[in-house]
Amino acid sequence: MNHQLKAEVLKIRSTRTTMGLLLGLIALALLFTILTCTLSPTSQVITEQDQVGLLSFGSIAGVFAALAGIMLVTSEYRFGTIRPTFLFNPSRRRLFGSKIAAGALAGLVFGIIGEGLVFGIGIIILKARGIPITMSAGNITVLIAGAIVGTALWGILGVGLGAVVPNQVGAVISLLAWGFVVENLVFGFLPSIGRFLPVHAQDSMMGLTTQHLLPGDGGVAVLVVWTVALASIGLTMLKGRDVN
Amino acid sequence: MAYVVQSDSLTKKYGSILAVDDLSFKIESGTITGFLGPNGAGKTTTLRMLLGLANPTSGHATIFDKPYESLETPALRVGAVLEATDFHPGRSGRDHLRTLSQAVGLPDARVDEVLGVVELQSAAKRRVKGYSLGMRQRLGLAAALLGNPDLLVLDEPANGLDPEGVRWLRDFLRDFASGGRTVLISSHVLAEVAQTVDQVLIINHGRLVTESSLDDLTARVGGSVRVRSPQLTQLAEALQREGISSTQSNDHALLALGTTSEQVGDICFAAGVAIHELVTEGSSLEEVFLDLTSGEAS
Repeated sequence: MNHQLKAEVLKIRSTRTTMGLLLGLIALALLFTILTCTLSPTSQVITEQDQVGLLSFGSIAGVFAALAGIMLVTSEYRFGTIRPTFLFNPSRRRLFGSKIAAGALAGLVFGIIGEGLVFGIGIIILKARGIPITMSAGNITVLIAGAIVGTALWGILGVGLGAVVPNQVGAVISLLAWGFVVENLVFGFLPSIGRFLPVHAQDSMMGLTTQHLLPGDGGVAVLVVWTVALASIGLTMLKGRDVN
Repeated sequence: MAYVVQSDSLTKKYGSILAVDDLSFKIESGTITGFLGPNGAGKTTTLRMLLGLANPTSGHATIFDKPYESLETPALRVGAVLEATDFHPGRSGRDHLRTLSQAVGLPDARVDEVLGVVELQSAAKRRVKGYSLGMRQRLGLAAALLGNPDLLVLDEPANGLDPEGVRWLRDFLRDFASGGRTVLISSHVLAEVAQTVDQVLIINHGRLVTESSLDDLTARVGGSVRVRSPQLTQLAEALQREGISSTQSNDHALLALGTTSEQVGDICFAAGVAIHELVTEGSSLEEVFLDLTSGEAS
């Protein structure tokens, strides 16, 4: 691990913010999984796609990973630590690269915990209810890999968004408004465009086959393109921006 | 002559506002330089350009003959504190330093060492939000010292410090510079740094007003020295022979105008005049500063 990446990981570990996000993710994943897996009528959780859909809630970890990524950049501006950070590592490209790597690592952890909880608890509850697991090994692999890799990419997207919008409140509102409002509106009214947006691209990655979604590999490609694009814009803005 | 810092026609514009205007200066190795000017004079903007945090509109600056960002691991050569508040309030002081030391591969032992230097060991594991302003200033200084630098750049480090803190800072800087290292310290109050610095750079409205040693500055623009002596008549005559005018301030003392304490001391010694007290009038320094900066403002 290079020096700056080590420092970035320490920044994540040394405040309570990331732990708070992780606890929030765990609570939400447990609540949703227990309620839906317990209360859904058997007829609605019996097919392969029903079960993939039910157990794909782990993708919510992407929101938390993106928030952690946003914090990696915006906290530095909010509290002024960006000044010593730049003084100790004036190569903004290298610094941003380390933040991207730290965001991806945080995303991986969030993805493993989020999808791990949803899948593990969900399967236990379904089996306890006597519902047969109809998902194939392939479905399960795509579901879990798509959730974890997608969440890691959301961690990077968060870092990119934080670099584009260094105001913490602005960046968080932008993320939530995009993820929960804008994308759903666009997908609802213009699905041919909406399926190319990042949240729905991750749905594709996890093997969901909802109408209008891209195929899985298309979802991967689209989310990677979004990630690279936002990170590139973020790096350009970070490099050009004076620190006041 | 070895110059540690060089600014060459440094200029910074924010829209139509000219924050720094064609600013050129050099700082020699082993000096403590006061970078002075009223609030809004362009000191902080200049320091940010020196340290690669802001891009100059034109001109350039070097530290150890290179732009800051081109130095190999600059934190090992330059330590800087630009704000006393650059900490995550939820992080402990020690962890704040570790996030910086790890970025340049320094061991945790160095963190503990600098915490000792700034006398913060007992608070090291407390979160920074519980620190007083003085403790934050010292934590910032600890961060600047991590790489054992040859140059310290401090922006208004005495802001908000109590008199004891100011004295601690003064002693610290003297000690730091005594080993031949260099300090650049900004302030908007000349008196705050007058007892610490060897030379001054005074700017106003982004332009260099004067660059000189503190003594030269005092002498050049009419500083005064109060001398208490039982031989006032002989003293006044000796001063007059050297072209220095004086006024008697009371029965036992006179005020030598436009000179320095060193010069008056030498004259007294040569003339065999006993002196009981020799004081550079502190207020005159501030007047010098105000004269220079208000003159530019008009």
